[in-house]
Amino acid sequence: MRPDGITNTEMSHDVTVKPDGGRAGARSCAAAAERSARRSRGRRMKTMPASWKLLLLPTLLLMTSCGRTDTKTLDPTQTPPASVPPLADLKREVVLKSENVTENIELRQLVRLFLECSLTADQNKLPNMTAFWSRDGQEIPDSRLTVALEKEQYGIQRLFNITSEEKVGTYSCVFENKVRADFVLATPRFREKRDKPVVSYVHDFVVLPCKMEGSENESLTWLWFKGNETHKERISAQPDRFEIRSQNLTSRLKLINLTFADAGFYYCAAVYAVGSTMNPIKLKVITFWEPLKPFIAILIAVVLLVVVIFLCEKQQSKKKVTEGNEENVDQNNIK
Amino acid sequence: MRKPERPHEHCCCRATRQATGSRWKEVTSERIMSPAATDAAESKPPDGGWGWMVVVGAHISIGFAYSTPKALSIFFKEIQEDLGASSSEIAWISSIMLAVMYAGGPVSSVLVKRFGSRPIVIVGGLMCGVSMVTASFGRSIVYLYLSIGIIGGCGLCFNLNASLTIISKYFLSKRPLANGLAMAGSPVFLCFLAPLNQFLLGDFGWRGSLLILGGMMLNCCVAGALMRPVTLSCNPSAVAALKNMETTTKHNMSKKGRCLTNARQFLDFSFFKDRGFIIYLMGNTMYIFGAYAPIVFLSAYAVSQGVEEYSAAYLLSIMGFVDMFVRPGTGLIANSKWIRPRIQYFFGFAMIFNGACHLLCPMMTSYAFLVGYAVFFGVGFGMVFALIFECLMDLMGNQRFPSAVGLVTIIECFPMLLGPPTAGLLVDLYGDYKYLFYMCGAVIMSGGLFLIIMNILHYHMLEKEKAEHNGARRSPETGNQDGVSLSEAQREPTEAESAPMNRDPQDPSTDDTGPDITDHF
Repeated sequence: MRPDGITNTEMSHDVTVKPDGGRAGARSCAAAAERSARRSRGRRMKTMPASWKLLLLPTLLLMTSCGRTDTKTLDPTQTPPASVPPLADLKREVVLKSENVTENIELRQLVRLFLECSLTADQNKLPNMTAFWSRDGQEIPDSRLTVALEKEQYGIQRLFNITSEEKVGTYSCVFENKVRADFVLATPRFREKRDKPVVSYVHDFVVLPCKMEGSENESLTWLWFKGNETHKERISAQPDRFEIRSQNLTSRLKLINLTFADAGFYYCAAVYAVGSTMNPIKLKVITFWEPLKPFIAILIAVVLLVVVIFLCEKQQSKKKVTEGNEENVDQNNIK
Repeated sequence: MRKPERPHEHCCCRATRQATGSRWKEVTSERIMSPAATDAAESKPPDGGWGWMVVVGAHISIGFAYSTPKALSIFFKEIQEDLGASSSEIAWISSIMLAVMYAGGPVSSVLVKRFGSRPIVIVGGLMCGVSMVTASFGRSIVYLYLSIGIIGGCGLCFNLNASLTIISKYFLSKRPLANGLAMAGSPVFLCFLAPLNQFLLGDFGWRGSLLILGGMMLNCCVAGALMRPVTLSCNPSAVAALKNMETTTKHNMSKKGRCLTNARQFLDFSFFKDRGFIIYLMGNTMYIFGAYAPIVFLSAYAVSQGVEEYSAAYLLSIMGFVDMFVRPGTGLIANSKWIRPRIQYFFGFAMIFNGACHLLCPMMTSYAFLVGYAVFFGVGFGMVFALIFECLMDLMGNQRFPSAVGLVTIIECFPMLLGPPTAGLLVDLYGDYKYLFYMCGAVIMSGGLFLIIMNILHYHMLEKEKAEHNGARRSPETGNQDGVSLSEAQREPTEAESAPMNRDPQDPSTDDTGPDITDHF
């Protein structure tokens, strides 16, 4: 995503970066700065050293406008400067009473996160209450405020610009009386958890699927890994062994001509701008002899049962015949 | 094969059988509660003894027949991923299997009449086993359609038809109980196969599981081995004589006539002249149309009401568990002397109960209520299915039952395949499950009401016809009359047992070809 060409005369315009390319935005900022610096340097070759100031000023302006997008401590009432890329807005409010509250927030893209905590006043009804915001357990500097009691509640709010993967974490508002609300930011979780392994056979093929919930139009990037919790190895499509087919919200890894070495854990990762989620799938490879053993056992049992039943029947019918003959003989004797 | 004896050596069973055509209507009209008459035969069914082992065999056979298409759906997700098929393509496997199982009815009934139940069930079991084993090597979805769908469906069809027929041969006075016990095989095997399939899937994958399932279906052969043909006390030579007569008449007919009779063997359209049969068929069709859709959509409905997925799956298990006990229970109740004469009404009542359950379902919003609904659904479903074939046996009698059941199953094929998709269409159109339940409940309830009302009319008209015939019967007839009274006299002691039911009792009949061919087994 390359920004429009930045020239010296276009300093005042926005750096047009798409919202979900935070990292790309920073990169393009740097690229734009590089380009303008190169152009300025080029001009500098011909002009006099007095135009150093001419060089510095646009570069400085460019830097500050790029740097502005990283700001967190923005007063919500102030309109953001025009150079901040247009992010989606997400607002969350929590009302606290006496217990801590945890709120899970699913992020699929870069957002401007507007968080608000309202603490209901208890019997004391103190006129003022101090509170602060923390991130991942550590207090954010310059965030401690004293709020006044308003309509039986103490309210505190803050805007967070979630513009990169590093910004994703747990944000909390903590009040003086130790009551807190935790907002856990995370990429979307996989809905289906497989606890059973996928079983397949040597020399056979198997398809490992991964599906993410979401809207129809969403298009995700998918990556596959093989390994375990600590060490994962990226899988790239090799024509005779792996085949990866990804489409929007689903991705399929096809393993061809399985061997015992192919068994183990496979991870599919759905990549979002704010991070990626992994889903483990276990693959088990066995030979065909394994299910054949119980099958043959059942077959033998069936044959035995059938033979036993027929033998019993033959015996019973023989008994009846001999009994019948005896009866006939008796009857003849009587006659 | 026995050599056909000369026609004049006959026993009572042959005499009455000879008069089939002319006397049919007369005997039919004489029955009040069970309009179908079969030919009089002096060998009454054992009603016990080895019959209970036959019930065990039928239990296994019917159990596999009804539960396999449902239990296979556990493998579908894995198969779908491996073979790259869509959900609807996968669902066709079950549909083809069910369709073949029902549509193969007439073929199966002809084979059962020809060869007896035992060889057919053994062949059916072998076919099922082979189908599953070949399916485990499948590489494409069409291969699975052929192996599981067609071959498996054929095998199950043979099983079902033959098992029902042999019950009708072994039991008369305890027949509702035997039917209830045999039909209980369906929920028992479903309860047993579903977790087993899950376990096998986790250990062996879908290929290994299909292989092992094939081995288990070979147990149908054991069930078949148990189905000893009924031994006749009647002189079997007379039966052979009858066959001789049949073959001579066949030779005399023209080729076209022979073709027609052969065709009529498969689909005997003379059944459609029987009023009781038509009533049963229509009521049954309405029931089958609405019966399966609620089962298919119950968990989805529960999830939409806010129940979590595991609990929603339990609802179906609850229904199956209740069903397991209700079927034999219903058989026991239907066997009692108050209900048995009015068994057709009891059947209609069971259908109305089932329909009422579905109509009340949309009001069930909490999980506790849904569990209650599942319990009552199980009760209603079990009651209907315990009686569904018993009523047909009651209507048709022993002789005509195999062909009748073949005809009924092939006609039932259509509502069974159309029901769930129509219900699904309703859900798609309105986005709400309640219309599905309203539709199913309404159709089933009207089917039940139809049965009750039409049966009242039917028996009323039968009584009128009987009164007329009693008047007309004063005129002397040939030796047939003796045959009738002789068999009736013989039935007096049995009548005392199952008193009000057998006012004009059904005839337990002999298996036409039983002693000739099945003796070799």
